[in-house]
Amino acid sequence: MVGWEGTIALENQAAVALEDTLERSAQGDQLAFADIVRQHQGMVFGLACHFLRDRSLAEELSQEVFLNLHQNLRSIKSPAHLTFWLRKVTSHRCIDQARRQKVRPQVSLEDVPEPFTHPTENDLLLSELLKRVVDALPEKARMVVILRYQEDLEPAEIAKVLEMPVNTVKSHLRRSLSILRDKLSRTLGEVIL
Amino acid sequence: MSRLDDELRMAFRREQPPVDFTDRVFAKVARQPAPRVRWWQRVAELLQPPKFRWVAIGATAALLVAIGAAQYARLHPAVIDDSGKVAAVETNPHASETAKDAGSLQAVPAPEAPAPKLAQSHTSVERHMAAASNQTPRNTRHMKRVVNPEAEAAKEKVMLALHITSTTLNDAQRAIGDDEEKPQRSR
Repeated sequence: MVGWEGTIALENQAAVALEDTLERSAQGDQLAFADIVRQHQGMVFGLACHFLRDRSLAEELSQEVFLNLHQNLRSIKSPAHLTFWLRKVTSHRCIDQARRQKVRPQVSLEDVPEPFTHPTENDLLLSELLKRVVDALPEKARMVVILRYQEDLEPAEIAKVLEMPVNTVKSHLRRSLSILRDKLSRTLGEVIL
Repeated sequence: MSRLDDELRMAFRREQPPVDFTDRVFAKVARQPAPRVRWWQRVAELLQPPKFRWVAIGATAALLVAIGAAQYARLHPAVIDDSGKVAAVETNPHASETAKDAGSLQAVPAPEAPAPKLAQSHTSVERHMAAASNQTPRNTRHMKRVVNPEAEAAKEKVMLALHITSTTLNDAQRAIGDDEEKPQRSR
């Protein structure tokens, strides 16, 4: 069994390895770049997929993000900077994509279909309902919620990624959660809230 | 933390793309032309932390060498070449004075009585001076040395004075010896 000292040592080792991978990648090592893609594809694709709700579009956007990363590898200073850079570029590209895609049929909060099944019987339906409610939020508020719950970021970190004041992030979160509670309480009663 | 938070975390978990995602990224990367690195990007790269340290060390070393060389040149402007002459002394206004002083020392009026010996003594002084001047190139052979011209001129003056003094003393001693022998012979 690994104690807390062992865990810290393993984390340090992983950080050093990632730093080394980043340096080799910046020097043109394609295998190192492939490692970076594999390590971060879940985060980038997840953000794009939850935001756009379209897997093929999300995949295309994620590829564009990694292509952009490949062209800007020299400007990346550390693994933490790499993660921040990927979150920022993906978020902004998603918001831009959504704004360009205004022709996409928007679902209003009132039109979100209500599941007939009890949430405890099928959590997948609840997840789907939550995604649909979040999908109906404005672009920035939607990205705030996704960054908060997918990446587990604090409001200050979200503010840096989205380049907006912390208070705006907090207000987006409050309003979004209020809408979600309202919608879910009307749909499911007080069961989960 | 409410249950809504947990449900949201569950709903918005990270998702993995298709298996061939990395290959597709590489296919796109391969289609792209190689990024052009501009001159200011190269300069900026030198200022990044690991390289910046060496650039700073190099620049500081170069600066120190330049300052040191400038200071050395300022403090030691004259150069002695292989012929043993002090190059800067020729252009130095003090040089002519030095030469005059040497001349005046050489032209010290000698007592008239032992005229032939004085003439001999003058030739011996010149010989000594020539010997002294010949010593310099032997010591500085195959090397150029930077010296202070004033110090060199003063040194030459002192050496010349010492040679003249020693020669005169020798001549005087010899003259006294001759004078002591003459009365004995006459007796």
